[in-house]
Amino acid sequence: MSALSRREMLQASAATVAAAAAGALPGSVALAAAPSQDNITLRLQADPRDYQEVIDTYAGVAPNVTVEPVSVTGIDHAEVATKILASLAAGTPVDIGFAATEATQLYAGEGLAMGMKDRLLDQADDLMEYFSDVSPVLVETDFYEGDLYQLPRDFNAANMWLNTKLLGEAGLEMPGEDWTKDDFNEYAMALTGLGPDGDSFGFAWNNGLWGGWLPWIFVNDSNLLTEERVGGGEWLWDTFYADDPNAEGRGGGFRWPEPQANNPLIVEALEHVVALTRDGYAPSVERGFAENLSGFFAADKIGMYPGGGFFTGFLQDAGMEPGTYDAQFWPRWQSQRHQLGVGALWILIGGNEDAAWDFVKWHTGRDVMEMIGFFKVTRTTPARRSMCTAERFPNVNNWNIFYDTVDARPDTGPIPAPVFSIELTNIFTRYTEVAVSLEQSPQDTLDAMQAELEDLYARNA
Amino acid sequence: MASEATLSSGRRNWLPAWLAGDTVQGIRRQRMVLGILFLLPTLIGLILFVLGPIVVAVAMGFMKWNVFRPPEFVALKNFARLFRHDLVGNSFGNTFVMMAMTVGMLEVFAIALALSVHRFARSRLAYFFRTVWFLPVLLSGVSVAVTLSYMFHTDFGVVNYYLGALGIDKVPWLVSSDVVRFSVSLATVWRNLGFTFIIYLGGVSALPQEILEAATVDGARGLKRLWLITLPLLSPTILFATVIDVIRLLQFFDEPYVMTRGGPGDSSRTAVMMVYDTAFANLEFGYASSISVVLFLIILAVTGFQFLLSKRWVFYQ
Repeated sequence: MSALSRREMLQASAATVAAAAAGALPGSVALAAAPSQDNITLRLQADPRDYQEVIDTYAGVAPNVTVEPVSVTGIDHAEVATKILASLAAGTPVDIGFAATEATQLYAGEGLAMGMKDRLLDQADDLMEYFSDVSPVLVETDFYEGDLYQLPRDFNAANMWLNTKLLGEAGLEMPGEDWTKDDFNEYAMALTGLGPDGDSFGFAWNNGLWGGWLPWIFVNDSNLLTEERVGGGEWLWDTFYADDPNAEGRGGGFRWPEPQANNPLIVEALEHVVALTRDGYAPSVERGFAENLSGFFAADKIGMYPGGGFFTGFLQDAGMEPGTYDAQFWPRWQSQRHQLGVGALWILIGGNEDAAWDFVKWHTGRDVMEMIGFFKVTRTTPARRSMCTAERFPNVNNWNIFYDTVDARPDTGPIPAPVFSIELTNIFTRYTEVAVSLEQSPQDTLDAMQAELEDLYARNA
Repeated sequence: MASEATLSSGRRNWLPAWLAGDTVQGIRRQRMVLGILFLLPTLIGLILFVLGPIVVAVAMGFMKWNVFRPPEFVALKNFARLFRHDLVGNSFGNTFVMMAMTVGMLEVFAIALALSVHRFARSRLAYFFRTVWFLPVLLSGVSVAVTLSYMFHTDFGVVNYYLGALGIDKVPWLVSSDVVRFSVSLATVWRNLGFTFIIYLGGVSALPQEILEAATVDGARGLKRLWLITLPLLSPTILFATVIDVIRLLQFFDEPYVMTRGGPGDSSRTAVMMVYDTAFANLEFGYASSISVVLFLIILAVTGFQFLLSKRWVFYQ
């Protein structure tokens, strides 16, 4: 037996302590079986800046498994998914990928992601605590045709952020939970032309599927595509959510059978946002500008902005002073149904499925999630209810709305993201640009969008 | 003599008979083999990374393939579809418009700069100007495009801020289909000017001084000398630069992709963006290959046409 160097001895001790600590903490998830002794490398789609602590700790939990982070960035989740598909096409796949709702059904429907039903039922006891801490709204979003493909890690619903400094300048109070679209319009008008240079805009938004003008479609009691619940899923609801009233009536995921872009309710929603730009209450909507809007919000150039809990960290990074911002539910129109997207890890079929499952399951532990960088400075909302605390969202008075959007408003639903969601997103954003650049009427734009969506559906039938 | 004999017999030991260096043919063959060996690394690279992908792309143009399922032979369906597909036609149209604008600006500005900087050829200012104008070429196309997209933002951009200070209304640089192609071309010219400028500076430096001086003595000055003497002498360089720039810009991607994603709508969508989106967003690799094959043939035809036309205006000494 060769002698251990001092460095090796320290590394081994640290790994043992980390493994013991990870196993002993409340909210930790045990591995199902002793991991195989073969050396395995798992390629994990994650930014090492956020996941290094998780990876280092896992080295102590499963010493034979090396987790290699693969960082993939993009302007939105559709672009990230595009890059993952490109890497798959190039023969350099990840064993464990990340998918936001935009890509959940894409990976599942194309037969890339592993269904988790059997493993979840086999190891239900180990995961009972996790599911008790996660809203069924989030879990249902990760279903596809009756099977569950992901275990929610984080989510963001589109809430409304308000610059309270500008509110004060306009002599307005924070709106209440039940504020309406008309209230919103008054706020947008009042918050325009204020700030240090008198050039603020009442409202600004980014052109994307999530959080663009889709929230207005949702509260106008509609959806870009017709929406229906898929049957099945009882195996999960009966096992993990038997006593949760919010789980009643849920099924095995969502389906969007056909497009309805030129539905009058959607035309009305687009007319609403186009009018905001035309009347000067919202700036021009340009792609590739998402990150900067937080800077302009912090610089008192924007009064209201659609965002989820993730915006907390963005505003902190932008140096916004405490007490100058807060969040509220999206305003009511015909309804007050919110739209959301859920982020989670998925497992590639044909890779190291067992080792990947062990990691993904262990990763659901609260102690593990607390190690993730983007939960330390909140750049997304944790899927675990117990992690959504006032400390997680410093200086946000209404911090509770982030999780209440799913707990108190269980009608909150996923953005429409069928298997061909990347192409859908491209069509949606392209035509949105045309309408908000005021070059075509909302009705004409949505008629053209509908025609292209019908063609998309026909090709993917 | 003894050592040569040893060497000669040594060669015979390990070389095949047809390569033996004791005959003229053998020496010729040796040289040929040596030449092939020197070329081999480049040839292998060319076959693996250029010719191979071209052959695969052409073959894939006749397939339907989404990476996850086996390819399916669809004969000419992809090609038939692209000729009916408005978006493809539109993207090729945009590519030509933006290429023409960009190449036009690039050549004019680069020639003007090269002639101006050449005046300082013997001073230290020449180093300064050469460095300054070439610097943007060293920057990443994506970071330049991101920065310029911020600068061109209609409401928050610094360009409109200063135009506003001059009393000029906001220009919708990136959100108007009338303006966006010009804005993207402008951004591309800024980053690529240095490359074309260096080509022209080389050309201008190599102009025969005796002819220019003779022209001056004969009274040719200013624009007349430029038009009748300098530009014709520079025409081989102009041909080279325009051919290179046209080929590059028919493959326009970085700037429009980062600055506008092809928008508003499809007004700045280029052919290569169409290929990228079709392949990686829509997962139609066969169809994307057919578009890229057509683009390849168009580039080939345009380049051939440029050389054909060059017989009329390029002056070789």
